[in-house]
Amino acid sequence: MTKLDAYGPPGNLDDFDEFGRKAWNAFISNTVDAAVKGPDPHEVLHDSPRPQFYNLTSTDTAGDATRAAISWTAFPRIIKITSSSDVQRWERADASRDVQDEYCEWSVVRDNTNKITQVTFTCEGPEYWEVLAETNPQKVIELYRHHISPDVRPEDLFSPTGRYQPRNKWNDSTSHGAMHLVQRNNTLGAEIELAAAATIRRVINGTELTTEQELIACGKYGAPERNSDPHIGAGVNALARQRADITLADPVGLYFDDLSTDGWETPDGSDPKSYWTYLRGDTEHRVRAAYRVPPEKGFSVGDITIAGRPIQFGSQIADFITIKLTGIACRLGRSTAEPQTSCVEFLPADMPEEAFTAEAFSAYGNFLDPRPAVSSRSSRVA
Amino acid sequence: MYNERSQVRRATTWRQPTVDGTLEGDRRAVEKVVLEAAEAEHDLVDEGCGTDPSTLRAGQLYRRVSGRDDRAQPVSEEELAGLSDPMAAEFFRENRFPVTVQELLSGLPEAAAASRRVYLVSEAGQIAPDTSPGLHRDMRFAITVAVRAGQVDLLISTQAGGDQVTAFLQVAAWDPDAKVFNFYMRIGPTWVWAGNSWDALEPDSRGKGCFDSHVNGSAVMKELRIPWLNWQSERATVRLADNDPLRRDPLYQQVTGAQKLELTVRSLVTRWTAARLAEVTANGVVEHPDRLFRHLFTTTTVNLAGTDRQSSIVTPESTDLVLPMGFWLNQDVLLDDLGLVTQAAPPTAPAARYCASLARFGFRLEERAEDGSIAFRRPGDTFFAFVVPEAAHEDNEVVRQMLRHGLLSAKFAACVLMVDFPNPVFSLPRAHLMRYAPTAATKLSALCDQMALAITDAARTLPADSPEGLFAAHWQVPDDAWQAVFGQRVDAYVRKAAARARTEDGFDDYVRLAESRRRQFRAMKLNEFQLTLPVTDIPADAPPLAMREDATAVPLP
Repeated sequence: MTKLDAYGPPGNLDDFDEFGRKAWNAFISNTVDAAVKGPDPHEVLHDSPRPQFYNLTSTDTAGDATRAAISWTAFPRIIKITSSSDVQRWERADASRDVQDEYCEWSVVRDNTNKITQVTFTCEGPEYWEVLAETNPQKVIELYRHHISPDVRPEDLFSPTGRYQPRNKWNDSTSHGAMHLVQRNNTLGAEIELAAAATIRRVINGTELTTEQELIACGKYGAPERNSDPHIGAGVNALARQRADITLADPVGLYFDDLSTDGWETPDGSDPKSYWTYLRGDTEHRVRAAYRVPPEKGFSVGDITIAGRPIQFGSQIADFITIKLTGIACRLGRSTAEPQTSCVEFLPADMPEEAFTAEAFSAYGNFLDPRPAVSSRSSRVA
Repeated sequence: MYNERSQVRRATTWRQPTVDGTLEGDRRAVEKVVLEAAEAEHDLVDEGCGTDPSTLRAGQLYRRVSGRDDRAQPVSEEELAGLSDPMAAEFFRENRFPVTVQELLSGLPEAAAASRRVYLVSEAGQIAPDTSPGLHRDMRFAITVAVRAGQVDLLISTQAGGDQVTAFLQVAAWDPDAKVFNFYMRIGPTWVWAGNSWDALEPDSRGKGCFDSHVNGSAVMKELRIPWLNWQSERATVRLADNDPLRRDPLYQQVTGAQKLELTVRSLVTRWTAARLAEVTANGVVEHPDRLFRHLFTTTTVNLAGTDRQSSIVTPESTDLVLPMGFWLNQDVLLDDLGLVTQAAPPTAPAARYCASLARFGFRLEERAEDGSIAFRRPGDTFFAFVVPEAAHEDNEVVRQMLRHGLLSAKFAACVLMVDFPNPVFSLPRAHLMRYAPTAATKLSALCDQMALAITDAARTLPADSPEGLFAAHWQVPDDAWQAVFGQRVDAYVRKAAARARTEDGFDDYVRLAESRRRQFRAMKLNEFQLTLPVTDIPADAPPLAMREDATAVPLP
């Protein structure tokens, strides 16, 4: 097989112009290269390089390539296990985008009786929208007006200096629209970094690590409390243990895997899945979906039941959604990469007082770690 | 359908192959299991199918409902015509009798293939194969298919790998006309119909045959909740040796995470429960009210819950363990369905307490051979930490639907469940109240009032702390206040439990209580596999424990 000419946009979306497509390829390719290189070994030990991870545009994919889809539940696990009941966890997950951390976020529309009429789900990474805003800002406005509200104004989305604001009034809540992911860990950069870091095999005290939790505890490539991170890591590492070279399939992205409707019932007996509509992405790479009932049906989402209970929260639907990514493994059995025999360690920072400059703090007052390998690390955090 | 203790499965589970610790030994172990499965068929025959399996005529569906039929008898044409599930419709009525799971799946309509989902379960599935080559891993596939459009209506359970001709093969199939599951198993060259959902409820067959695990006639997945203990899921991948032939099995290559099976099984339990309630309430009179109310008062079966932390990597420095909410109370009904007003959060325990308890109580996984000798032993807890029985979804779903259909008032249910609520399973005080459930036909409208009156009448001459007295006190709480009043009690209890779980004495109490409940589970027929639960050094004759509302655990009187 040949090398890929260029990474395509998530979902093979056609929003980019020619320049935007090139910019996107540059971003993904550079992010993959950085992930292959791994963090600076002077700052993070036993986490670089990642020789079993590769860039589709610079390395051949061999003829023995196989694809492996890895899917997980969209409902945030941390909320699930720390809630005392289903109703409590549904309320908590519907309350803020900040807790929707499984690469899927949603926003709920209710009628004047508080009954749900539509829930919109997105798994589009924010980076795509940043690139689109830089290369074709008018398209961003058009998409917001089409998918969120015709009332969207440019100043709602862009700062006075013209910078796109990912968290804007139309994309920062669970009730006024969800255009793309904004939860701080839900980024494509995090997905790529996680997948790359998980290609490192770990043989600790003579035993090769294989389980979801021991791998993420040792590789420190994400948050063990999530559905997604440990599962992605274990899936990728299982391929690495086959001594394969591994990468994320093009187009790199997070995608809807499925909506199961086991136990759902509609008032008129119609198929509950027929009200699940994909709004963006090609048939194999869905990135936006809505659950809504056409007005002519005479009932709404809130009239549909799951196991006898009416849908009162968007998160009830998230219980039934799975998100996926697709990995590629090739050259099976041929990798000569040696496993790491230690777990990842972050070295303590040498912090002279002069490091505490104004630039060391973000606009929101967060201290930025001066170590490039750490501060730029896209790994997901708890 | 899952994890049931059929006679064949029981034999394959408990007979421990002898191996020499080599891959060759593994191969011989598989062969031995196959032989044992064949022997087990003879056991089944001896127990009532009639004669040697070879006398069961191929091409004939037999009927044998355990507890009712003393031998297998051919299903008549008329009886067969009355079976409308996919198994009967696609195979038996067409005079087709698949021997292997592959034949079964390939014999289904092509359109059904897209709906097929394959799951993998093994109680030994997280024990590294290279560290225990002699361990019988007893892997099973669970397969769901929507043969007719829409929802799953066929569930298959079978051995994963090995000789599929001799492997156990069991099916639960939904009959849309009769609105029941029909239960089938392949025996030798043909198939036996083992009964339908209603047979699970009838006194002669209840708890017998396949109904020892399909206790209430529905689909079963014991480990129904995250982290889906023992199942391959998004939380854990079943471990296979690199050269395990199962890796090349087409079904293995389709295995998906058990998180999806949870959704399916929950919906199937809902489906059967709805059909059951519609049938028994059709004419406004319930013939056997006690059969419904035992789901409220007693523990007809359980699910297993746990933390979703891998026990072997928990160290004293690890973050706290979130203990399963179902250990503390029946949160599904009390909080979700009855809407008690609470601020409760699941109690957590310091990892150091958990680690210390493993050593203090001698936690280990242990499997004994038939002669009682230790076939496998490993120190530590099950793969996921702190596994305990919790209130069964099957019981809760009956209560839930009785509430929705007005068969049960929310206040009555709450007043019952608040009796001894810190013991969500195996509660003797609540079970004591079962005597007030009518056993004769009773009008729907009179059910709750009749029972409440009987209990409160009895309470007048009984101590205040008797089950009747407790119920009566609950019943006195005003209709507009019980959700808040009971919620405050739940909050106070959970707060105390949360505080005690952080202390050495308190956590050790809860370890003993958990083990006490596990021992009660072990006494159930639902307990099929020795490696499902850990064993401890807590003496075998230690008294069973119960939780009190002050969050202390005390011996049962």
